[in-house]
Amino acid sequence: MANNMDFILVQEQPGLRGLTNLIYKEKSAWLKTRRWWINALIWPLILGGLVANMLLVSSAFNLDLTEEVIAAGGRTAYVISLGLSVFFEFGIQAIAIGVIILVNDLLVSERQSGVAEWILTKPVTRWAYILAKLLINAVFILLFLVIIPAIVTYSMLSFKLGALFPILPFTYGVSIMILHSLFYLTFVLMLGTIFNARSAILGIAIGFLLGSSLVTGLIKPLLYVLPTSLPKIAASVANNQSVPANLLWPPIVATMLWCLIFLFVARNQFDRTEF
Amino acid sequence: MPQSDEFVIQTHNLSKSFGAVKALQSVDLAVPKNSIFGFLGPNGAGKTTLMKILLGLSKPTTGTGTIFGYNISSDSVSIHERIGYLPQQPRFIDYMTARENLYFAAKFFFSGPHSRIVERCDEMLELVGLTDKANRAIRGFSGGEKQRLGIALAQVNYPDLLILDEPASSLDPLGRRKVLDVMDRLRKHTTIFYSTHILDDVQRVSDVVAILNHGRLEACGSIEQILNGKGGVVYTISTKGSPENLEARLSTFHWITHSSVTQHNGSSIWQVSVIDEKIAERQLLRIFLEEELLVVTEFSRKKFDLEEAFIDIVKGDGNGK
Repeated sequence: MANNMDFILVQEQPGLRGLTNLIYKEKSAWLKTRRWWINALIWPLILGGLVANMLLVSSAFNLDLTEEVIAAGGRTAYVISLGLSVFFEFGIQAIAIGVIILVNDLLVSERQSGVAEWILTKPVTRWAYILAKLLINAVFILLFLVIIPAIVTYSMLSFKLGALFPILPFTYGVSIMILHSLFYLTFVLMLGTIFNARSAILGIAIGFLLGSSLVTGLIKPLLYVLPTSLPKIAASVANNQSVPANLLWPPIVATMLWCLIFLFVARNQFDRTEF
Repeated sequence: MPQSDEFVIQTHNLSKSFGAVKALQSVDLAVPKNSIFGFLGPNGAGKTTLMKILLGLSKPTTGTGTIFGYNISSDSVSIHERIGYLPQQPRFIDYMTARENLYFAAKFFFSGPHSRIVERCDEMLELVGLTDKANRAIRGFSGGEKQRLGIALAQVNYPDLLILDEPASSLDPLGRRKVLDVMDRLRKHTTIFYSTHILDDVQRVSDVVAILNHGRLEACGSIEQILNGKGGVVYTISTKGSPENLEARLSTFHWITHSSVTQHNGSSIWQVSVIDEKIAERQLLRIFLEEELLVVTEFSRKKFDLEEAFIDIVKGDGNGK
């Protein structure tokens, strides 16, 4: 046998050893399986279909000029506000469920199958293992679940409006949607480092998604520290409606902090995990 | 860089408990460089636990250990640069082919050149006899093929140490033989530390053997040392006739620790345990020949096999340590 002299050895930061190769693996898990095209089809169809239903189908009916319609600025503006509401308020929750379903299995399946154990006997740090999963899944999830449906929705809004829909407010709304999705991505990833059963991860994550609205309804201050109000804020911002700063920024900043806390816990928990 | 010249793996007082269960108890181990080190033990003895601790997958409750002089608890990445590991049930990335899995494993060590990495993957496939299945999906592989691919994956970086957890236990005799052949071929390049409960495999390929039972290291040494440690050297003498005073006479020699006689098909079969092999070689047969009423028909040194030694040790009456 020859030796390893004629190879170029991997050079990476010690704390991120193995990250490049693990990113390749995570990317392959999307691109070499059906996962990418299923998600690339389903989400634009679901969200785009719902928005299309609001924008195109409902406008086929001759809407009465109610006070609500007049307050919105006319029939077209009202229908557009309905479309935005569906995309941002319903869509953000649907995407959160999608994120939970896609991410809950990431760590558990590899831990249960022994793949994680095998990978961790290679020169990789545990943080690189977690980070590769986070980065690649964030990219593909945001692309297929948020950005492509957002482009489809934006195109439909512009079509309905007969001109380009104001890009900046819409982008702000999508940014809030991205933040909301990242919250659930990091949350479920963290749960995956704590629990070894999919049912526990799914139960807690979906329970939180559905239950947090109820809890914040009962305990109002929680609205400032949980992402529960982000769907409404995203819809309002995208519709160019002003949101008071004291309602806008606290949940956004808190959600960002939660993401960092979840990552911190995930890292520590995974470092302590025994195989 | 810390180095340990003589031993690749060293542990000191290594223990691991899961609640009240003591999986490992004060294991002191030294695996010599360039040896094939067979790690024997019944199921549940703690073999896999020890391997996982060595690999940094699990943390010891107490004690320390080093591989290539690196601390097993804090320098895992440096250790993993130089080892290859085959788990008991090898797992692969199931959406990749055999070649893609190898390429993926190689990329943890090498960033290029691409052509050399591909060559290395092909070489590994050839080593384990899977060249013709290189582009096949893993899910169609038999148990033996998976095991061999697992060895190829473990060997792709030419590690200085291969850690194999039960590499042949789930295979049919032919598959086992192929895996042992691969290990035999690798022995001149690397140290192999492997666990098994198949004694034939150990006797066939190992240089050094350790026996673990209930988390304790019961014996460690070359196969010969393990066998000798079973109770000294024993000679078997077959005779016609059996003088009454011979057993008493044998007990007067300080180098004879035990003697017994049984009757079989009209012959007397003597088992004589000695502590000094050299004196026994010179004098034992002479003692028997001096007996006028006795005809010696056979004189030999009793050969123990590893199975006897293993069973004795595992049952708790061994003295191998």
